[in-house]
Amino acid sequence: MRKQDEILVAEMLIQLNAKQAKLKSELQEYFEGLMTPALKAELNNPNHFEGGGPEFKNAMQTMGADGWIGLSWKKELGGKELSPMEQYIFVETVMRTGFPFPFLTTESVGPMIAENGSDWAKEEIATKILQGKLIFAIGYSEPNSGTDLASLKTKAIKEKDGYLINGQKMWTSLANFSDYIWLATRTDFEVKNHKGISIFIVPTDDQGFSMSAINTLGDVRTNATFYDNILVPDSYLVGKLNEGWSLITSQLNLERLALVNHGPVEELYNNVLNLAHQTKINKDQYLTDLSWVKHNLAQVYSGIEALKLICWKQTWIMESDQLNMAEASVAKVYGSEFFIEAYRLLMEIMGELSLLKNESELSILNAKLERMYRTASILTFGGGTNEVQRDIIAMAGLLMPRTR
Amino acid sequence: MDFSELSHQSEIRDSLDKILIEQCITENLKKFDDKFKHDEELLSLLATNGYLGLGIKEKYGGTGENLYDLGILFEKLGYHAAPLSLIGCLVDVAQTIQKFSDDERHLSLITSIIEGNIHTSAILEPLNQDPENPRTKAEITGNQLTITGTKYLSELASKSKNILVSVNSHEGVLLVLVDSNKTDISELRTTANSPSFKVDLNSVCVDRSSIIHTEGRGLEALRYLIQINMVMRSYLALGVTEKMTSLIAAYTSERKQFDRVIASFQAVSHRAADCFIDLECLRLVNQQAAINLNSNLDCENDALVAKIWASNAAHKISYSAQHLHGGIGADKDYLLWRYCLLAKECELINGSSSQNIERLGLNITSNQ
Ligand SMILES: Cc1cc2nc3c(=O)[nH]c(=O)nc-3n(C[C@H](O)[C@H](O)[C@H](O)COP(=O)(O)OP(=O)(O)OC[C@H]3O[C@@H](n4cnc5c(N)ncnc54)[C@H](O)[C@@H]3O)c2cc1C
Repeated sequence: MRKQDEILVAEMLIQLNAKQAKLKSELQEYFEGLMTPALKAELNNPNHFEGGGPEFKNAMQTMGADGWIGLSWKKELGGKELSPMEQYIFVETVMRTGFPFPFLTTESVGPMIAENGSDWAKEEIATKILQGKLIFAIGYSEPNSGTDLASLKTKAIKEKDGYLINGQKMWTSLANFSDYIWLATRTDFEVKNHKGISIFIVPTDDQGFSMSAINTLGDVRTNATFYDNILVPDSYLVGKLNEGWSLITSQLNLERLALVNHGPVEELYNNVLNLAHQTKINKDQYLTDLSWVKHNLAQVYSGIEALKLICWKQTWIMESDQLNMAEASVAKVYGSEFFIEAYRLLMEIMGELSLLKNESELSILNAKLERMYRTASILTFGGGTNEVQRDIIAMAGLLMPRTR
Repeated sequence: MDFSELSHQSEIRDSLDKILIEQCITENLKKFDDKFKHDEELLSLLATNGYLGLGIKEKYGGTGENLYDLGILFEKLGYHAAPLSLIGCLVDVAQTIQKFSDDERHLSLITSIIEGNIHTSAILEPLNQDPENPRTKAEITGNQLTITGTKYLSELASKSKNILVSVNSHEGVLLVLVDSNKTDISELRTTANSPSFKVDLNSVCVDRSSIIHTEGRGLEALRYLIQINMVMRSYLALGVTEKMTSLIAAYTSERKQFDRVIASFQAVSHRAADCFIDLECLRLVNQQAAINLNSNLDCENDALVAKIWASNAAHKISYSAQHLHGGIGADKDYLLWRYCLLAKECELINGSSSQNIERLGLNITSNQ
């Protein structure tokens, strides 16, 4: 009996294997080189938090040339076909550096176009995405369609030479420097909500396209975007007519996992731990000598461990092409709510100093804490709101009856 | 036992609401979002109508000594996100002098404050975890004090004629008024854009008569100052979180998703109800602390309990409000975001929850 147990234990491995560890250090080295002082300075400017500046554009094209775009794409589409675990490591490493890598363009929109797009889209759009030359904004949400996304009203009507698009989107992030909008529209008005949706590629330089900026609590800009009689050729439709919903949902689990990657919060924890270690509070004491500071650090540490394991396990499950619905939702709910608690506990450690903005005298850690707490809530209602995720957990994980 | 408000207190509440609703319209608040957040006009309006004399004895021109009355003012300033930072002035300086000084020159500052002039405090020091034990030092020779040290998060120091600073000396802790011209002042930028300053004192000389308390009462006075500061900040937090909770109720009762108002989803209504519960607790611990500090100069545990609840409620209600609003809660054209920033400042300034819980734990176990 004993022997068998030992064999089992030896087979289980809860850490990166040698190949994965090598990839991680390779990526670390690559991104350290990519993050030049000029790029870092640009990304510290509130107008460029999320990219779009000249240094950012250069970096994207460099990455394209070096083959670091399209990791999830199939080989025959020009990608690297990395496994889910390798993709997770990529996301982790990029996020730790703070580079606002446009994951949705390169890892969601890109492969979908490469697979389901028209010949024009495959040639013109997918190729340029791989080269780091195109950015997409995601046009899903509308003023009255957020959580209930399938109720969206922006419409595309078939005309002789294509589709005529009219409507309004809300929260179209990155639209201010994007080349195209990945737009969800209603194309059938008779059927159930999610059955009449189609996806179009809409160029932002069209005359009928306009936008107004929405400034947010976290200083990230997003946009209200308007579509006024925009005519796009048939070839701008992605996938089949009225089957857009499956494109919207096909990558959701991967996207959710990317949202709660444990890399950035661990990075922040390390920064605060180091700073607290070096911070003298009187002649012979450091911040880390205080028992409540140890307590806060330990809480964050134990929270990160759980998050890392949840994410790793989910990714490991995906490696074998399976999917556990409940666990994907666990990762999203736990991760997004843990971030809020972690930022709070870390801010408490640095106390009032963590209230100071980056440009202020006495500010600490480039005011990362001051910025993070302002953006944290978006993940709890965005990317599939946590209430709905909890419904899924109760149904799929506990086999309980549906609520309402 | 009697929890009820006196009729004059409800009147203060109502009339303050009237003024602040008018003055704190979005258009007005916007003017202060990026630049110096200090509304002179509103300040003089409050002065003209006598609100700066809340909690001050009638003989100094106030409406009567009562911290509960003053709490109403801070609650309302928080509720309307008023662009005014007055804790340093009305609480730290006016209240402490009223309680501890018998010197006409100091007491005249109270009258000056009631008229709308600023005289602030500078108590907190970067990374000093124990404000009762200031690192700022005063050398005393004869009648002269020479003060050296760095203070920060001093409200409105640039507008202030006098600054009340806490110092350590061979005579123990002292609270001393310093002419602001003798200090080096630089503006800090805080998350809520509050008018906050670093104050450097480099061998600043002042006369012994600038000490605001009688001999030997310095530590007592500083402890009192810190406690009323905590309690009034907790009242500010009460107003901020009351407003966020009322925004939750109003918005979720109107916003529809899936063809029904989102308030009709049980998860939404329960989370809103949890905010209500926190608010009720916060209101009561504030009330207890304010009432007890009226008759007793040292109620540290009551003050800590109030501040702990304020920090926790500010955090929880802020994120509940943001979550229940969805995207609109983050939009700077809507009003919630200002409250989220204020909530963070209330949460962390003058002691975070974790820090104060440790302190309270020490207090309640050391007397056994
Ligand atoms: C900074 C930012 C960037 C964004 N970027 C993009 C983008 O690039 N592209 C894009 O398409 N969208 C984007 N979004 C929009 C985002 O996806 C939506 O905010 C999200 O889907 C929620 O929709 P809503 O804001 O309309 O909130 P609502 O759906 O109105 O939700 C409000 C509240 O009601 C609750 N609720 C709703 N339905 C239920 C239910 N059935 N049961 C229980 N509770 C419920 C929610 O949990 C939430 O607390 C962005 C949003 C922000 C703030």
